[in-house]
Parts: sequence; C-alpha cells; structure tokens
Amino acid sequence: MASDSSPLNFDAGPSSPDDSFSSPIGNTVSSSGDGYRRRSRRRSSTPSEMATPPRQRSRLVSSENTPTAKEPRSRRRGGGRRASGNDVPPVAATPSSTDDIPPSTEPGDGDDMDEDHPTFVWGTNISVDDVKGAIIRFLRHFRDRQASQSEGDFHTEGKYAEVIKRVLENEGDSLDVDAQDLFNYDADLYTKMVRYPLEVLAIFDIVLMEMVPQINPLFEKHIQTRIFNLKTSTSMRNLNPSDIERMVSLKGMIIRCSSIIPEIREAIFRCLVCGYYTDPVAIERGQISEPTICLKEECQARNSMTLVHNRCRFADKQIVRLQETPDEIPEGGTPHTVSLLMHDKLVDTGKPGDRVEVTGIYRAMSVRVGPTQRTVKSLFKTYIDCLHIKKTDKSRMVADLTEAENRLGGNVDDLSFDEEKVWISLRLWVQYFWVILVFYTHAFFIEMQVEELKELSKKPDIYDRLTRSLAPNIWELDDVKKGLLCQLFGGNALKLASGASFRGDINILLVGDPGTSKSQLLQYIHKLSPRGIYTSGRGSSAVGLTAYVSKDPETGETVLESGALVLSDRGICCIDEFDKMSENARSMLHEVMEQQTVSIAKAGIIASLNARTSVLACANPSGSRYNPRLSVIDNIHLPPTLLSRFDLIYLILDKADEQTDRRLAKHIVSLHFDNPEGIEQDFLDLHTLTSYVSYARKNIHPKLSDEAAEELTRGYVELRRRGNFPGSSKKVITATPRQIESLIRLSEALARIRFSEWVEKGDVLESFRLLEVAMQQSATDHSTGTIDMDLITTGVSASERLRRESLLSATRNIIMEKMQLGGPSMRLSELLDELKKKNPDNEVHLNNLRNTVSTLASEGFVEIRGDNIKRI
Amino acid sequence: MSLPSSVYLGPQIMTINKREIEIQRENAAMVGLPYDFLVNPLGAVRSTFEKAISSGSNPASFDGKDWGALQPFQHFLFDQNGLSKVPILNASSAKWLQPNTLVRFRGMIQDMLGNEFYVGAYKDGSTWKTTKFMDSSQCPTGFSPDMRIWERRVLYCVPVPGQNSWTESSRLGESNNSAEGTSENRQKRCRMDENGVDHMDILAPSDELQNSSSGKKQKDEQLSPCSQNISTMATSRSTACNTARDFLPCIVKIYDTAESELKLNDVFEFIGVVTLDTELKVDKDDYDEFSNGLSEDLSVQFPPDMVPRLHCVIHRKLGVHDFLHTCHVLEPTTHRIKEIRTALLNHLTIALGNDAVAAQYLLLHLLSKVHARVDSMAVGKLSLNLTGFNKESMSIFGNQLRLTVKNLLPFTEYIPLTVEYLNTASLAPKKDYEINRLVPGVLQLAEGSHLMIDETQLEVGTLSLLGVENARLLKNLMELQKVEYDFKYYKMDMTTDVQLLILSEGKSNILPADLVVPFQPSALGSTAITDMDALEAWRWYLSNVRLLPHSIESEIQRVVENDLVAAKQADRNLGSQDLSRLLTIGRLICASYGETSLSLEHWQMVKELERLRRERLR
Repeated sequence: MASDSSPLNFDAGPSSPDDSFSSPIGNTVSSSGDGYRRRSRRRSSTPSEMATPPRQRSRLVSSENTPTAKEPRSRRRGGGRRASGNDVPPVAATPSSTDDIPPSTEPGDGDDMDEDHPTFVWGTNISVDDVKGAIIRFLRHFRDRQASQSEGDFHTEGKYAEVIKRVLENEGDSLDVDAQDLFNYDADLYTKMVRYPLEVLAIFDIVLMEMVPQINPLFEKHIQTRIFNLKTSTSMRNLNPSDIERMVSLKGMIIRCSSIIPEIREAIFRCLVCGYYTDPVAIERGQISEPTICLKEECQARNSMTLVHNRCRFADKQIVRLQETPDEIPEGGTPHTVSLLMHDKLVDTGKPGDRVEVTGIYRAMSVRVGPTQRTVKSLFKTYIDCLHIKKTDKSRMVADLTEAENRLGGNVDDLSFDEEKVWISLRLWVQYFWVILVFYTHAFFIEMQVEELKELSKKPDIYDRLTRSLAPNIWELDDVKKGLLCQLFGGNALKLASGASFRGDINILLVGDPGTSKSQLLQYIHKLSPRGIYTSGRGSSAVGLTAYVSKDPETGETVLESGALVLSDRGICCIDEFDKMSENARSMLHEVMEQQTVSIAKAGIIASLNARTSVLACANPSGSRYNPRLSVIDNIHLPPTLLSRFDLIYLILDKADEQTDRRLAKHIVSLHFDNPEGIEQDFLDLHTLTSYVSYARKNIHPKLSDEAAEELTRGYVELRRRGNFPGSSKKVITATPRQIESLIRLSEALARIRFSEWVEKGDVLESFRLLEVAMQQSATDHSTGTIDMDLITTGVSASERLRRESLLSATRNIIMEKMQLGGPSMRLSELLDELKKKNPDNEVHLNNLRNTVSTLASEGFVEIRGDNIKRI
Repeated sequence: MSLPSSVYLGPQIMTINKREIEIQRENAAMVGLPYDFLVNPLGAVRSTFEKAISSGSNPASFDGKDWGALQPFQHFLFDQNGLSKVPILNASSAKWLQPNTLVRFRGMIQDMLGNEFYVGAYKDGSTWKTTKFMDSSQCPTGFSPDMRIWERRVLYCVPVPGQNSWTESSRLGESNNSAEGTSENRQKRCRMDENGVDHMDILAPSDELQNSSSGKKQKDEQLSPCSQNISTMATSRSTACNTARDFLPCIVKIYDTAESELKLNDVFEFIGVVTLDTELKVDKDDYDEFSNGLSEDLSVQFPPDMVPRLHCVIHRKLGVHDFLHTCHVLEPTTHRIKEIRTALLNHLTIALGNDAVAAQYLLLHLLSKVHARVDSMAVGKLSLNLTGFNKESMSIFGNQLRLTVKNLLPFTEYIPLTVEYLNTASLAPKKDYEINRLVPGVLQLAEGSHLMIDETQLEVGTLSLLGVENARLLKNLMELQKVEYDFKYYKMDMTTDVQLLILSEGKSNILPADLVVPFQPSALGSTAITDMDALEAWRWYLSNVRLLPHSIESEIQRVVENDLVAAKQADRNLGSQDLSRLLTIGRLICASYGETSLSLEHWQMVKELERLRRERLR
C-alpha cells in the first residue's frame, strides 16, 4: 500500500501549510480527505504517546521542507476535490468500515483504508465510527433545553437539524456549532474535539456532507462547521507547547491585519505556441509547478506554458495579529501577541482595534532558514488557525451604527447625526471607533455571571456597599459619592412623541476647597465610567470640547473632528478646574448640558452631533478657598445659567474640624509606616463595580411607580412651599421645574442601583435627601439658613440680599409706625421719603421699594392699590 | 540594623568557598570535568543532560523544567567565585568575545518579545540530544514523536539608560582578569586605567580629544569641573559619544522562569551562552511574506551581528548598589554613616555654592525612593525643584550639580526642557505594531534612576499636540511616578521610581515638584574630589542607606500626629500631600543618619528644615 509505505503521502494534497489550514475552514471537502489520509498514515507509523508533532509535521512542516515523493493518486484526488466546487460534490470517503458509503466516494480513498479496520485514529483515542455516530446523534437530536420547554412536544426537530435547514435555505456555507451545546449533549465528544480538533472537525464535515444531500439533494455548496463558545477560554499568556494542535479559544484585540493574500489554489496554463489550455493544476507544497512541455500531443513545445491568471482559482487568506487585552497583562509585563490565520469568509471580519473572541487550532510551524537549505532553526512559529471569530461586542457595534433615534433608554451607544445635511468624513468614524476602544479599555466587562450581579443587587446594603466601593481611598464625602453613584447609573432618557426630550444624564458640579480630593474623585469616576473623557478646564477650548471643522491638508476636504463632549457621548465627561475654563468654552456647555447636542455651523457644514454626556465638573471657589462670608454664588463664581443645569452641586468644604484632621493625620502616618495593604474593607473591586454599572445601564430601565410619583409630587410641592414662608421675598422659589427633572433622574438611578424596574417611594425619598444635602450645602442662604434656589438661578449676591432684608424690615417698621390698621392709605413716594429720612446713607430706589412692598403684601401685611398702600 | 546583604557577602563567600572547594575537588576527582564553564558552557549543559538521561529520566519530564543543568553553573559562579571571571558583554567586548562562551550582560529589560517554541530535545538515532541554550541545531526537520517542544521567553535588553561609565570601568577591569582580551580591549583598558577608575566619566571622551595635555593636567581638569573649560557643548557631545560607544542591546532568551520574576524595566544580570552571528542570514530573495507575517523574524529586525543573543542560564536582579565597586566594603556602623553623611553634605553644599539648606534637601532627594503605593499615590517620592536659576547661574551651578549627581548615582539622565524638545521628543515608550516592538522613550527608565530637568531654557512658545502630551507625561511622572506607555489602542500605566530634580527660574508649574526650594548660592566653590575613597563611600552610602527599613514608635507617632493636626489647624491650605511630605522628609532624614526609627530629634529637624524653606519661599 503506497500510503503506508510512504507516511508522507498526504503531504501532496494539502501541501503548503496555508493550504492545509484551510481544511477545516476554507475547503472542507479537502479536510475530509485530509482526515483520511492522516488517519491512514497514522496507522502506518509507530504509535507513540506524542500525537502532536507528527501531525504537525504532516500538515505544515514536512510539506515545506521535506521534499517527498509525489503521490500521483492523492494529487489527482486533490485536483478532483478542487473541481468539486463546480461539479457534484464528491463526498469524500467515509471509513470503509462504515456501511453507508455514499456512492460518490472516490475509489482512491477506498484504497487508502481498505486494509485493516480503522477503529482508532492513530495516536488518539478517537474511533471514527464512534465519533461519527456521536456527531450524528448530536446534530439530529440536540435540543435547547429552553427551546424544547417553551415550544412543547410538537417541536420534534433538534436545534441543529433546524439550523442546518436554515443554512440550506439561505444558501449559507457554514454551520455555527455552540461548543457549550456539544458539551451539554456529549461531554466526551467535546473533550475529543478540543483535544483532536482536526480529526473531529473532519468527521463533522463528513457527517454534514452526508446529511445535506438527504435534506436537499440539489444543494451543491459545502457546509463547514464552525465551532465557537468553548467552555474554557485560554489566556494568550498561557498558551504553551502542550496546547499545540488543540482547539483553543482566546480573547484579544486585533492590532494588525495583513492585506488580503490571494492564494492560488488551482492554476491553468496556456501554451503560447498552440493555445492549448491545461487542466487545472493544483497546488503542491505551496507551489504550482509549471508544466515544461505542452501537453498537447501535436504541439509538445518546450517552456511555452504561461499562467492564465483569470482562469486560476484563488482563495483569500489573511494574517491577523491579536494582542492581549490590557486587563490580562500582569504588572510589569508587555502584552503578548499571537498570529491568526483567516481564510475565505473570515477574511476581513475583524479590523484593527476590534475586541474579538477567537476559536481556533493552535499550530506551530518550524522556521526554515533558507529555501534550499535543509537546516531548520530549532524554532517554531506559532499561530492560530482560525475557525470562528466573534466580536466580543458585536451587537453593540451594530447597534451603535444603526440604532435609530426613536429607541428609548440611554443604554445603547450611538452617534447619530443628520445624515441628509452633513457629510461626515471617515475621520470622525475613526475617532468614534477610538472612543469605543477607550470605553472598552476603561470598562472592560469581565465575564461575570449576570446571576452573580443579580445576587449582589439583592443584598439589602447594596447601596451602601456600592458607595463604599466608590473611591474607597477617599473617605467621608459619602453623600457626594452617592451622588456620583447616581451619575454613573444615570436616569432614563425620554423622548416624547412631540419631539421634546428629557435627558437621563445627571450633571454634577463639585465645588470645594483645595485638597479635598475632588480631582481624585474625578479621576476615579473617569476610570470607572463606561466612556469618559477627562479634560482640564485650563487646557480646554470651546472647540476642543465640542467639535471643530478642519481641512485635510492633502485633499482639502473639510472634516468634522469631534471634541471631548462628543467623544464622551453616553459617558461621563470629567472637567477638572471648571472655574479656570474660559467663558467662551463654558458657554458651549449650555447646549450640551440641556439639549445634549452640539451644533456646528461653519465652513459649509451644519451639523448637530449628539453629546449625551453627563458632565462631572469640579471647581475651586473663586477665592481658591471658600469664603463663608460670601454667598455661594460669589464663591462658585459661575454663570447662573450654567449652574442651573447641574442636577447636584456639592460644596465640599474643608471645615476646620480637629476630629477629621486627626483622622487624616493618622491615616497619613499609617501610610508611611504600616503596611497600607493591610487595611482591607468589604468593598467591591473595580471590575465588579464596572460590570455592575454596565449591566444596570444596559438592562434596567426603571419606571415610576404610582406611589413614587405621588411622593414625588408631594415632595416637590413641599419643596416649593418651603420657600414661601412669610417674610421671604416672592422671588424666592425653592425648587424649579429643572429640579423635579433632576429628582426623577436621581430616583431612577437609585432604582437602577437596586436592579429594580420600578422606582419606589424609598428611591424618591433618597433622591430628595440627596438633593437637599447638596442644596443645603450649595444653596444655603447664610443669613436665613433656608434653601434658596434663587441664589443659583438668578445670582443674587449676599450683600444684595442683606440690603433687601434691611429694606424690608425698615419698611415694615415705618408702616407699623405711620399707619394704622385699616387707616388711610399712603403713597409709595411718601414711604420712600420716610425711608430716606430714617436711613440717610442708604440709597433706596422706588423700584426696590415697590418690590419690598409687594413682598409685604404677599405676607398679608399691606394691601396695594396702584401707588397707594394700605395696612390691613 | 540590617543593611543589604552585599555588604556582608564577602566573608560569607570566603567561608563557604573553603568547604565548597573541597567538595568540588571531590567531585572533580570522581567525575572529572570534561568542560570548562567559561569557554564551553554548552559542554556542561550537554554533560548534565546526558547524565540526567542516563539516570533514566524521560526527556518529557523536562518540559519547562531544569534537569539539573543550573546547579553546576550556580556552583561555579557563586560558590567558586567564578562570576568575576565571566566577561561582561558590551559594545567593546562583543568584538572579541567568542561565540558559545559564557558571558554576562547587565541591562534593563526594554521590551518583551514574547515566547518562542523550540525543539528542546530530540532523538538522534538512539540518543537524546538537547538544544537548550542554543540558537539553531542540526535536528531533523519536521515533527517526530521523538522530539520535545519547549518554550522560552525572549527579552530585548538594553544597557541601563543613563548608566554612568564609572559603573562599568571597574567591571571591565574585573573581566580582564579572565578574558584573553584582544589588543583592542587592552588598549581600552589601558585608557581607562590611565584615566583612573572613578574619574568623571563625562570627561573621558573629551580627554581623548585634547590629548595634548599631560595626564596630570587632565586629571586636574577632570577634578575641577567647575572650571570654565567644560562648556555645555562639550558635555553634550561627550554624552553623545558615550551612548554611541556603549550601546549594545542584547536579545536574552530566558528558560523556565516564572513570568512574574522578570518585569519590564527591571535591571538584571544575565549569565549565559552568547551567540553573536552564528545564525544563518536570511536570503533576501527568499523573504517569505507569509511566514514573516505570522511572526516577525528577529534576525531581520535585529541583525545578529548587531544584537547578540544570550541564552540565559542564570539571571539575577540587580539593584543600584550592584553597580558600585563591590571591592569597597564598609563597616556599616552608625558612626561611620554619620561621618559619610557629613562629608557628603559638605560636598553637596560646596556644589550648591554654600547653600546649606538646598544641600540638605538635595541629600534627602537623592535618598528618596518609592517604598509603597497606595492607590494612585506613590509614598516616599521626593521630587525637588530648585528655583532661582537663571542662564548664568545655570551654566555654573547647573552643570556642577549635574556632574556631582552623575558622579554619585549610577543612572542619571538629563533633559533640557525647551518648547522644541517637548514638541519633538518621544518621552513615552510607544508600541509600533508594524514591527511589533516597544519603541523606547526617554522616560523608560530603570528603577532608581535620577532625572534632572532643566527648565531654565524653556521659552515662550506654542506646544503642539505632542508637546501637550509630553508635558502631561512629565507631570504624571512627577505626581504619580507613573509613565503612560502608548499601545496605540490603549494606554497602559507603568509604575516607575525615578528621582526628579527640576532646575527652574521660578516655581515650575509644568512640573509640580513635592518640594520647592529657592536656591541661594553665596560662594563659588570647587567640587574637586580629592579623595576617591570618599567618593566611593558616598556612592555606597546613597545606594544603601535608602534601603533601610523604617518604623515609628507609638510615642513619636502621637507627637507627629499632634503636630500634623496643629499644622493643619494653623494653615487650612495644607493638603494631605503636604502632610505626607513631612513624613517622607522625616523618614529620609532618619535614614540619612543610618537609623531605622524616627526619633523626636529627627522630627524636630524636619520642622526646622521646613521652616527654613518656608522662610525662603516668602
């Protein structure tokens, strides 16, 4: 038996390594052949416990480096196989021992395996029949547990039988098999597949080849099996020689794609002399040998053959570099990379920067020193023969690009813009992809079981626990942290049919003394938030924050470059040193913070870009240190228009409190002397926190319960009424409609923290508390101690307030003195004269007086009729 | 008091040696040594392998393990004091070193090139052979069951950035003991010897340029660097010479070592088998696009004749103190340390024009080291900003300072900060995916490096995008002791431990240092080092004292806490960083006296020093 005498015979067929990889993927017909040839060879060689290297040699190395005697038979078969795409699929051999050999089996193959009964693939514990039977059973009978439950008994077909039918209907060419299903159905088969992927996949293909004609005899394409979702995913770092020739699953980021390499599979030559076309010549050891003599008997010209390019058959091939994701890199290491080999359909499925999960076979190829030299470096190049590639967040990407604006819920990232009006250059997209990467980098989902997260969410102290876990190294400031937590979770964005939209993003401003770890908080949030941009106010210009138009120096095309706010769409834009930002830049924030868009109108581009970002800003008080004698407004020194757009304004004041100072001192001393790692607390690590937040943002969309809505209304009315106590000016309003929106957002975020679909009363109460805590700090009128939104919305200064108050009391006194209850009325001008007489150094204007009097009137102290005042 | 072991090592080695030598003699009598570790290390590898095989081991059991090849090497190198006989691989020795001999390479891991699979053992006929610690082999092509595939790590190492040549000179002398140097090497040694072992390295090249002057005169010039003949131009030129002359990267292949043992930017001494240009060159015509696409061919990127390969047998991590002249053993008494401290402080004071306060701070700065990281905070760093420099004083004191530091610390770097520099320099290492290499940046420094930044040359100008990025990197380095490595698709923070000294006119806002000390020189002194022993002692002092442990007694702790609270109450502007700085200074002062526990006296000194500094700031 030729094949037995020459163990290398199979080299002839899938000769070059590139060719052979394709077997399980690109050219499945060949793979089945491969399997047989391999098997036959195995039988022939000495058994050993090492199964890997021989196969290695057979598929990759020897073909390149060891010239072997050509096997005419296998070569012929190779040719036939290649033609298979066009002809009737020659369903390659099934084991001779099995009785269901399809008639189309090539006789040559029969030869290969006729001599003894091949029960086991050499060097493995694989019995072809057993495996085949197992695969058939699996494909026919596997049912999804859930599916079978839900669809009842009448659903008799197995999951994959269905899938195969669908593939046939769609004229597809591959069958995706979930390895988890395989494991659940037949763990033994799964183990075999992982251990001996080439063999098992070949059998898989044979099975499919047999099944397809049974369903649709006219179906000509060949269906390949693509395995995905292995039970265990290997870290790139841990790949080692024992993984060679096994099926592995890896996660990583594509860093480089080669250009598509057209790989010749069959060549057709033409004689320059007589114009005779040869039969397709198949690839041999990665090379096509050009016939030296014209095969036409009459011609037989020497060296006259030339390649006819457009009649040759080529296949696509691509080399892709995969790199470890940053979270897998241990400290002090650099990322590892691994090469992937993609074929046919898999070519160009990933682009540099994509995060993918790859299932494939780990291969090694020895390094040849020179083409003619037999010496081989004792080195191997390793790569992964790619079977299946899954973009880790494919759904997300797709959603990103196609999501329509009408979709509710702020959970899918998208960047939509007015396509009719604007042409946005590729560059924006590139930037956009970059943003996605930034996001992945910062908030990489560890594959934590959703169950675990849900379990976590059920804990009664989850709110406190999350608060504790947020920037655990910064103490105190618990309420600030709670606010930041709400910001991370965010409320529900709402778009009404009328076109009005309500943002779901919560904006927070931290104003505080230097050294109160504001920046650390910001940095922390930036690290945590799904997509964040961190800028410093001083270094940000208006265009840097929003978007700008620039001209490409080479082409002269105008392109739109997005700035920080657009880039942090659906994320949190952290702006440090907000107070040091230029007026101009700050004014750009107005639109962003309420309308959540950035509008551009210049250089022929009119665009409105989404910037649904939460803004987290921090600022120092105007005098760098909070001056308690000045009003909050004066301290913050920001335009009131902007201030009102922040949902929560926290004043982080460094109170001269010995207790806190002592704690700080203790902490610092312990930092220097003790082992700082020793102090462990019960908090969630960053990964858990991130995945918790991401999951909640994605999947939880709480609605207001009736009870909560009622509480909200009641609380709001209360809040408003509080400002209307007797004696306060009419202009003092405690809450604005903006505040009720803030409250809703906060309550929603609080419900989200609990993974609850309903906003409950408790959430509303907590949101009131948060608002109050923030407001009490930021809107306390230092003379009265009341919450005074007026301070923030109109920017009345403390001295002005004081003046008003003194005027009010003075007026009241005069009225008390001069007027009798129910007595004659008094003209305003008279009152003004009286006031001037009493306080000669105070300048009082009629207008001020009119305001004051109307305040008194609202208290029910006086009555105004035109210019006359009457005490009642 | 525990000092680094190197101090005590001498006598220990001696005692062990006697015993070991006897054992060795016995062994030699029994087995005989058919190989010489230095000339034929592979022979040793082979013989141990054969021994292991003949004792019945299966080569499969050697996967990822040592079969006993290391032990004889360890014995030879450390017990028999063979280490000093192993020649050092550097640019000059690479010319005469024989391939497949034992050498050592001291360098920083600049990049990790991933793992490499190789045929570790194969059956040649009926006998097993190994190719461990070898580049290529005559092993049969393709796979066979009688073949073990093993794995090794490939590291790209470079000489430590900013390494001053006084660290090498002694090493070179040592290596000459054993190696039959070519005439070239001898010449070099002669020159080095002539110049003196520990002279200011920076002047060595310029000496060559002015060979007219007599040796004695040269020496004088070297020893008075403040004299005007050292212009900045000369120094910059000489550093350029230095780097070109000494730069020899090396690809180190590491066997069977846990990944966590070797980290990026660590400084190691690799002892192993060198192969220089034995690899067959790849034929250009046969450039196989496909196979090269799978993995970069090292020999294309790093031609073997430029970058030697070292198959590492034994590696050991080096600290700063390993770069000193180990012949100099000091008794580490507190008294002696205090003496050295006083002398060094005096030296620094002279270098700083009699500014005692600045000298105090400089000393503490030179002793600083990151000893813990809590979240993003690096505890123990003490960057120093000396203000009050202008162009003239910079040319005098700046250079003087630079030379002083250069002479004291093994790794020093200097950055003249200009707008142009910021806009053009590549400070952060960057991954180039085209060649799959980490392109080094200026800030890729080994632990314990000293970086001096001269801000006086910074003029008004516009920063480009790169400039802004670079400024941010420097600021991050100052504040967090972290450098962001650019991996194109994401950035990765790498922790560093670099002492930063900034010289500026006013307080530097671009580079906010922990300490701002206005520099007030009053006299121009000469920093001539007359006593080489003293210089040695200072180097020893600086590298060892900073490793001292530190503790605090509860009583002092209370005092410190009270003081901190009082300070905070008095000045609300004090942040936690300021308080932390006080403790760092305390620790360093304490260590500078060779003591390990903060005493009240030291704490008072901290407060006094800070008071003096604050007065100056006013």
